[in-house]
Amino acid sequence: MSDRKIKLQIKDMTKKYDNGDGVAHINLDVYEGEIVTFLGPSGCGKSTILRTLGGFLDVTEGDITIDGKSIIALPPEKRPTAMVFQSYNLWPHMTIYENLAFGLKLRKIPKSTYDPDIKKMLELVHMSGSEKKYPGQLSGGQQQRIAIARSLLLKPSLLLLDEPFSALDAKIRQEMREELKKIQNDLGITVIFVTHDQEEAMALSHRIVVMNKGKFDQVGTPEEIYDDPQTLHVASFIGEMNFIDADGKTIAVRPEDLTVVKGTDKADLNATVRTSMLMGHYVSLTAQYGENIIKCFVDRDVAEDLEVGDAISLAIGKHTIFKDGVRSKA
Amino acid sequence: MSKKLKTNLAAYGMVLPAFMVVMLTVTYPIISAVIQSFKDEKTGSFTFSNYTYFFTEPAQLKNLLYTLMVVFLTVFIAIFVAYLLALYLRFVKSKIAKTIGTLYLLPRFVPAMCAVYAMITIIRDSGLIHRIGALFGLDITLGLMYHASGIIIMNLWFNIPFAAMMITAGLGAIPDSIIEGARDVGAGRWKTFTSMILPLSVKDVVIASTFVFMTNVGSFTTPYLMGGNAPKMLGIALFDQFNKYLAYNRSAALSVIMFLICSVSAGVYIYTNLKEQDWEK
Repeated sequence: MSDRKIKLQIKDMTKKYDNGDGVAHINLDVYEGEIVTFLGPSGCGKSTILRTLGGFLDVTEGDITIDGKSIIALPPEKRPTAMVFQSYNLWPHMTIYENLAFGLKLRKIPKSTYDPDIKKMLELVHMSGSEKKYPGQLSGGQQQRIAIARSLLLKPSLLLLDEPFSALDAKIRQEMREELKKIQNDLGITVIFVTHDQEEAMALSHRIVVMNKGKFDQVGTPEEIYDDPQTLHVASFIGEMNFIDADGKTIAVRPEDLTVVKGTDKADLNATVRTSMLMGHYVSLTAQYGENIIKCFVDRDVAEDLEVGDAISLAIGKHTIFKDGVRSKA
Repeated sequence: MSKKLKTNLAAYGMVLPAFMVVMLTVTYPIISAVIQSFKDEKTGSFTFSNYTYFFTEPAQLKNLLYTLMVVFLTVFIAIFVAYLLALYLRFVKSKIAKTIGTLYLLPRFVPAMCAVYAMITIIRDSGLIHRIGALFGLDITLGLMYHASGIIIMNLWFNIPFAAMMITAGLGAIPDSIIEGARDVGAGRWKTFTSMILPLSVKDVVIASTFVFMTNVGSFTTPYLMGGNAPKMLGIALFDQFNKYLAYNRSAALSVIMFLICSVSAGVYIYTNLKEQDWEK
């Protein structure tokens, strides 16, 4: 990783709002061609960081560089970034073509140059033929494709996406995710993505920054974040996780890392079947263990043998132990 | 009696009082005024002379042009200042802006007569400004009274807050993300204004203009208290025809003329409101 070129560098950056909220002492290197996702609950400061990158917020302290050059003094229009907003903010009074051409015209690019680019870009986002339409005539998903196309046409050094798919329905969100990943791969651009949707973050990112209350909880690849959460917050925020309290410690184990055996005293924990739900090729089963309700994913043939109220034993496979909210080495 | 008929009768019964009031106090006087305006004062026969009088008599023609000049100047200045004020209120987020945002409508709550007299005591040649000047040994005579400029200043007092209110509402409807999006792709402040804010607010500007125009064509209080003897604004000219010369047929004709001037503006208003831009469909 270290031999790769650093695209974006956030150096000890602090942004405080008047009411005291904000982010403090943020440090992050983003490499060229990487998709880095800021993931966290709303109000955790992820959009604040993105907006300081785009130039819509001033930083209180610290520096941000792109390709080694500081950008914090530049207004948004002078920054080599392009941003896609949560609300599909196409300009309603301009046609799709005018929306796409607006930024290119400002750069004094001749029409003969940008016209084929726009055609190609519309093809890339599967929106050919919509040139003469107005944004109001397109669906949310289509508008967001155009918004992404508009940003990409400017060949930004850094593409910033602020929860771009959160207003779309599940199926289109899935499609857009795949498309974005493909486009990113084809063009090799660097992307900063902000979302509160952990599934989206897992699917898209090369690296994820999990944020909580204005701080970085963990920075790592999706695998590292999923398999090796460093804090209780990360463990609970990413994927499904059971938390079992034992002697002042918390054992965190994922539903797929539990093995269910029928009968008592056959494994680590004794429990009873509480509910059983067929999810397709597997069954999601909840077990009552003392006060705790534990979720397990079991194969269908195992589940067929189990009735609600049956005594079962649970074997804990891969797990992490937390003490006081942080990962315990022991 | 069927149930449906009963409901219908009840419904008509409820509308009837309002309908009668409108017929008696609005529709009937309008029709009667239009008929009057085409009648000769003495013989009662059909004539256009009540109308031609206002367009051929030099003093009357001057009144008409004078009124249009005052009204157009009022519209242009009021809308221009109101637009700047609305931009300030929409985009500047400071304590001062917030205070102005709460206070700027206050003039609307001052009764017109009080406001006009208050303005007179300040701007007349022996008014407050003159006296403040005198303290410093200056002889300031503004010459605003009995002059178009005084009327226009007073009109601005009434119309800027109103126009600003309408335009502020329009600008408030433009989301920040539209403007940020424009800045993001490389538009500076001026370009963002001309290609985003202005086109998206032009409709409110036109509508505010038509309102300011209509309310000022027939204005009376201000020109009555602050205007000169000649030329006069049409509201005063109408007052003279009706109350001083008792020329009812000419009064009717002048009323129709004023109505027609306003209806041009009303037409613009209705057209702007009904016409959907391509992008609004």
